[in-house]
Amino acid sequence: MAELTVFGFRQGTSFLHQLDVRFKLIFLVLISLASLKAQVAGLSLLTLILVVALIHVRVSLGSILRDLRYASILLIFIFVARALSTSGSAFVEFKIISVSREGLYEGALVCWRLVIVIITGLAFVLTTRSSEIKAAVAWILRPFPFVPAKRIATMMSLIVRFMPVIFQQAKETLDAQRARGVENRKNPVYRLVKLGIPILRRTFERADKLALAMEARCYSENRTDPRLSSEIKDWIALFVVVFLCSITII
Amino acid sequence: MKIIEIENLNHRFADGTLGLKNINLTIEEGTFVVIAGQNGSGKSTLLRHLNGLLLPTTGTVRVAGIPVPENLISVRQMVGMVFQDADSQIVGETVSDDVAFGPENLCLDREEVNRRVARALDLVNLLDLKNQKPHLLSGGEKRRLAIAGILAMEPKVLVFDEPFSSLDFPGVKQVLKQINSLHQAGHTILVAAHDLEKVIAHADRLVIMNHGKLVKDGLPDQLFGELEAFGIRQPCAYRLGGEVQSWLN
Repeated sequence: MAELTVFGFRQGTSFLHQLDVRFKLIFLVLISLASLKAQVAGLSLLTLILVVALIHVRVSLGSILRDLRYASILLIFIFVARALSTSGSAFVEFKIISVSREGLYEGALVCWRLVIVIITGLAFVLTTRSSEIKAAVAWILRPFPFVPAKRIATMMSLIVRFMPVIFQQAKETLDAQRARGVENRKNPVYRLVKLGIPILRRTFERADKLALAMEARCYSENRTDPRLSSEIKDWIALFVVVFLCSITII
Repeated sequence: MKIIEIENLNHRFADGTLGLKNINLTIEEGTFVVIAGQNGSGKSTLLRHLNGLLLPTTGTVRVAGIPVPENLISVRQMVGMVFQDADSQIVGETVSDDVAFGPENLCLDREEVNRRVARALDLVNLLDLKNQKPHLLSGGEKRRLAIAGILAMEPKVLVFDEPFSSLDFPGVKQVLKQINSLHQAGHTILVAAHDLEKVIAHADRLVIMNHGKLVKDGLPDQLFGELEAFGIRQPCAYRLGGEVQSWLN
């Protein structure tokens, strides 16, 4: 049996599963924007809400941290860049390198905000089918003239749908390379190249096979989409999210 | 009634290789045909012409009298194809989502989609797993899910490309039982295989391909003696002088 990553829809009956996907998209945008403006208190509140939401949809926080470990490389890079580039009172000085207290604070804040955006996206993906995402994006883009709403929606839903598959392939390729002692090679560029090329090749091959199978089942942009309907609970949730986002940026 | 008619079919790949050479084949509705050949003999290339995934370089392919390139949607609805790699044809996040994919593409209304999904899952005995993630199914279950995805489109012809590859014994039995019951229900069945052992006891007709050509066509019993000349292993029972038995017995 396949070992799955957390990046993918999970069937469930949680409150988040029951919400209208259009509202969930709006929440994703609102929380991401609020996190960009929020300071420590606001970010703490958002983090608390997100952790509760993830526990509510029954996903293990440990598995999220494990699967996000590669994103930590990006976060460390951002943190170091901020720490070195922000001026202020020196925390550490070594020759021409100076790390400021303000830089460390700013770096930590930016990373925290990014983690909140990632976790919000994860909560969205975990509780929403890709077909629902497609229907919602097409609905939102419909009023805009000259925008190929259905095509954009289809591409977005396919990306969301196949993220877990790509992660799974990366994991398998990495395991196969570990079995052949890749960890003895200390050069990270060598390891990245040796990992990246097979993953890309396998992803394209898989995409080819999938496109063929989809074509065999008459795939087109015009298809029966899920029904979108808002209920009173969606509007209540919208009110709560707007209220919380307002608190976090005040 | 002739459900599939292939006349003077040639297919040349983009790199110039001739994949199929002058194939002529007619298949009657309701028959069970096994297309055998070693790897690279052109079996999959031939099958992909039946629902327009590949189009002829020269020659014609007709399904129920309709030339394939003229009405691809209708032909793809009539000819359902189950690919060798079940994993790469799963598109839904849950078992029922995956089965619904085909009917949704046909723009059927939601009630009809739901009816077809329930019926197809019931036929392959996967109704209890309808909310399961497809990637957590066993090999045999995945293959049955792929069959359900095709059945939901209510096809007349079912095409299986190496349906038993990488399956364990229970998986082979599950899939074979499924294919057999679909044949009993009146579907036309085409199975491409390089190993005849598991399926040939159920076939009405055996077609042998070699290097892109259709080299033999007849009753299975009559062709067993010639199989190994084309790189296909004879069934064990035949080699031992006995009668070929079904794996379902």
